[in-house]
This record gives sequence, C-alpha cells and structure tokens, in this order.
Amino acid sequence: MTINFFRHERALPYLLLAPTVAVLLALSIYPLIYSIRVSFQTGAHAGWSPGNFSRLFADRFFLAALGHTLVYAVCALTFEFLLGLSLALLLNEALRGRNIFRALLLAPMMLPPVVVGVVWRLMLNPNFGAINGTLKGAGLDTTALTWTASPRLALASVICVDIWQWTPFMFLVLLAGLQAIPQEPYEAALIDGSSRWQTFRHITLPLLKPAILIALLLRTMDLLRVFDQVFILTEGGPGFATETISLYIYRTAFRFFDFGYAAAMSFVLLVLTNIISLLYIRLLQRQEAR
Amino acid sequence: MRLIKAQLWKQAFVALACLAALAPVYWLVTISLKSEVDQFAVPPRWFVFKPTLAHYADAFLARSFGQYLITSATVAVLSTACALLLGTLAAYALARFRLPRKLDARLALWILSTRMFPPIVTAVPLFLLMRDVRLLNTKLSLIIVYTAFNLPFVVWMMRGFFLEVPRELEEAARVDGDSRLGALRRVVLPLVAPGLAATAVFCLIISWNEFLFALVLTQTDAAMTLPVGIAGRVTQYEIKWGVMSAAGVVAMLPILIFALAVQRYLVRGLSLGAVKG
Repeated sequence: MTINFFRHERALPYLLLAPTVAVLLALSIYPLIYSIRVSFQTGAHAGWSPGNFSRLFADRFFLAALGHTLVYAVCALTFEFLLGLSLALLLNEALRGRNIFRALLLAPMMLPPVVVGVVWRLMLNPNFGAINGTLKGAGLDTTALTWTASPRLALASVICVDIWQWTPFMFLVLLAGLQAIPQEPYEAALIDGSSRWQTFRHITLPLLKPAILIALLLRTMDLLRVFDQVFILTEGGPGFATETISLYIYRTAFRFFDFGYAAAMSFVLLVLTNIISLLYIRLLQRQEAR
Repeated sequence: MRLIKAQLWKQAFVALACLAALAPVYWLVTISLKSEVDQFAVPPRWFVFKPTLAHYADAFLARSFGQYLITSATVAVLSTACALLLGTLAAYALARFRLPRKLDARLALWILSTRMFPPIVTAVPLFLLMRDVRLLNTKLSLIIVYTAFNLPFVVWMMRGFFLEVPRELEEAARVDGDSRLGALRRVVLPLVAPGLAATAVFCLIISWNEFLFALVLTQTDAAMTLPVGIAGRVTQYEIKWGVMSAAGVVAMLPILIFALAVQRYLVRGLSLGAVKG
C-alpha cells in the first residue's frame, strides 16, 4: 500500500505536465520542424535544396523590409522608453489623481491592434481625418500632409502610431519598478546633499535597471514582429515604404504562395529575435549576479 | 510658491499625455455615432453632432458582424478554458515538485521559449498543416492554435501564484488525510483563485485581440473573427467608415472592461510574471 502510494506520487508531476508538453510539441515545435523541411524545398527541385536561403541575400525587397523593421524598432523603442520613463518618474511622485491618470493612460495598449489601425486611419485620413481637419480649421495648408499615403511620411506615421499605443506599456512597467525601490538610499542621498540629477543617475537608474531591461526586452520582441497595425494602416505601402519583415513573409506565403521562401525568411526573423533576446538576458543575468 | 508651480507643470504634462492617449479613441466612438455628413465635416465636429445608431444596426444586423462577434467570443472562451485547465496543472507541478536533473527548471524555460517565437514563424507551417487535416476556415483550428498560444502564459502566471502559497498549508491538509490533488483542490486553488481569474481574463483579451493567426487560418464568414472581419472591410476600395467604427467600438468595449478588472495584475500579466507590480 505504502509503496503504491509513493509510486503514484512520483509519477504525478509527469502526469500533470504531460498534456501541456504534448500540446506545445505538437503546435509549436512540430510546425517549426515542418517549416525547416518546407524552407529547403524549391519549386524546381524535389529534394533538399538551399535555394531559398541563397535567394535571400540577393532579394532587395527582403533587405529593404529588414531595414524598415530595424528603423521601426529602434525609433519606436527609443521614444517609447524616454516618454514612458518621464511619465513614470512624474507619476511616481505624489501627484494628485495619480490612480485615475494611470488608468486612463493604459487604454491604448489594451485595444485590439486592428482597432488601433482603424482609429488611426480615421485620425490620419488626409481629407477628413481629425488631424488634418483640425489643421485646416486653423487655416493651415495640409496638401503635403498625406501621412500614411505619402512615401516620405508613411514609415514615420506608423512609428508614431506604435509610440502612441505602446508608451503606456513602458510607463506601466517602469512605474512598477520605481515603486519597488526602497526609500533608504534616497534618504542617505538627501543627507549627503546630492543634486536631483546625481540622485537619479546614481540611485534611481541602477536600481531601476532590471525593470528597464525587462521592459526593453519585451518591447523589442514585439517590435521586430510588428504586423497588425501596419497591415491595417498601409498594408506595407505606399509602394514598399512600410513593408516590415512579417508583412513581407505574409505576402510571400499568402499572396504569392511561395511557402518555401516564406519559411526561409521566417527563420532569419527567428534567429534575429533570438540573438537580440539572448543579449538582453545576458545583461539581466549579469545584473542579478552583482 | 515655486513648488506649487512645478506641481502644476507636472499636472499639465500628465493631463496632456492622457488627452493624447484618449482623444483618438474618443474620435472613433464619435465617428461610429455620426451621420455621413458629420463624419466628413471640416473642421472636425468633436462634440456637436446628431448621434445615430444606424451604423451599429448596419454592421451587426444587415452585415455579418454579429456572426463575427459570436465567433470571436466562442473561440476566446473555449481556448481560454482549455489553456487554463492544462496550464494550471502543469504550473502546479512546476511550482511544487523538484524533478531530477533540474528537469522542472528546464521545462519551465522551454515552455517560456515557445512563447517567444514570432507568430509569423509558426503561422506559415500551421496554415499548411491545418490545410492538410482540412481544418482551414473552422473555429476549431483557432481554438486549437490559441490554446497552444496561451499555454506558456498560463503556466508562467500560475506558477508564480502557486509559489506564493506557503507549502505548510498544503502539508497540514495532507496530514489531515487529503491526497495531493485533494489538497490542491480544497486548499490551494481557493487561495490562488484571484490569480486564476486574472490569468483567465488575460487569456480572453489575448485571444480576442489576436489577428495574424485568425487572418491566416480563416477567410470565410463561417469562422471569421471580429478583427479579421474589420480588416476585410478596411482594405476594400470603398470604405464604410461608420460601419467599420461601429465594429471597432464593439471589439474594443469588452477589452476595456476586462482591462479595468485586472488592473491590479496588469504589470505582472504584461511581463509574463517577470515584474510584480
């Protein structure tokens, strides 16, 4: 009886874990392996061929999409971080109505990305959008401000929409980080008579670093895969001006039905994402080791 | 005096940020309630217009948005239920058992890593696999995919909540004669119930908002979710702004209510449990 009981006990964690592991193997890992197989198939050859991968380096659309994605990610990340940090620092101090402000600021990031796309199509429409309409009402000439329809402004426009949607995320995570910092170091700094900038530079920033790294890591992952809002706002256009990697892969697979090439490109995205996330995780671990 | 002035500046800056965050959303709501004349007015009519519900009737009664709404709700609820059931059990095992060769810690990291794949990477092979088993354009395909998508999230959230329950409580229950699973059901689950509810709401939000998989896997009215339905209308040549805005408002409302409900756990949920707000 006792022996039986222990046997049961020893098997229990495996029984509890088995369904989850099975589902993830079937729906995350198996598709990935299947995708490797697909990426080595080209129309011309029946067997394995590296053709799709060698094609990548000569495809200037792919390189352009890669460039757009990196510009998008770097610009959006920078502004979201700086704005989010400023707001977090402001709201961390006792400010009247803080909780209401906090709740109001969160709305954009919770919205379905498709709705964000719709909202900004309405705002940015060159003819009757709220932005140009308001400018016209103030007597300004808006003929050059065609936002997402203009090859020059389109990428900047979709980046601005991202900043609008995701600055609240940075703000929220950084505010949580700020509120977890103990009071003692600040009291010591006050006694030592250090300036506000010195306090920020030598106390707040180092103690906030783990929260900063996590916020940047999660945002970077999302920025590199950006798809939804851009799909609604511009579909990668005008021309090719806002085509990101995810959009180009989607187009290759589901418009041109070239699944092999799409799979090959998706591996480049996967490797890129992994390298960048590993860099962040290294930084985080070094931070924790100290 | 200088202090008060600084405080006022800060208030103004934060108020401006709130205005910037909310004005576009408000604009969407007004467009959904305006007749076409008011929609295209220049300068824009922010406050003064004659409200009408015609676009809502058009979208949800005359067009198929009512059906998309039902599909979205069905898929979100069923996939959340599946992910919670499987994920909570796995999370309990990872929080309470030490497996040989650090298997528990390694499994936890592996489960998390599956969540880090960019969706487009699995969307391409999943489309081909679903085509092979003839599940394209079915709700079932979305329920299956969303379950797998939400599982790592449930495991990491619930693992955190389980770790916060003192072991002693469970041991006491087991001394009283409960089996391991009996103790889980009678002692631990009631204690993590708020966390479980928050996790469920997050899964609902994620599934409801999801776009890429739904776009790839469903193209017919029978299985289309609300975001795909809206996207289909946006990219057509003639855009019905009122219909689209009405559908957008309906897609957004449940999410805003849910988000307010889980505000306490928001940071935790958004950082996969990494930051405890």
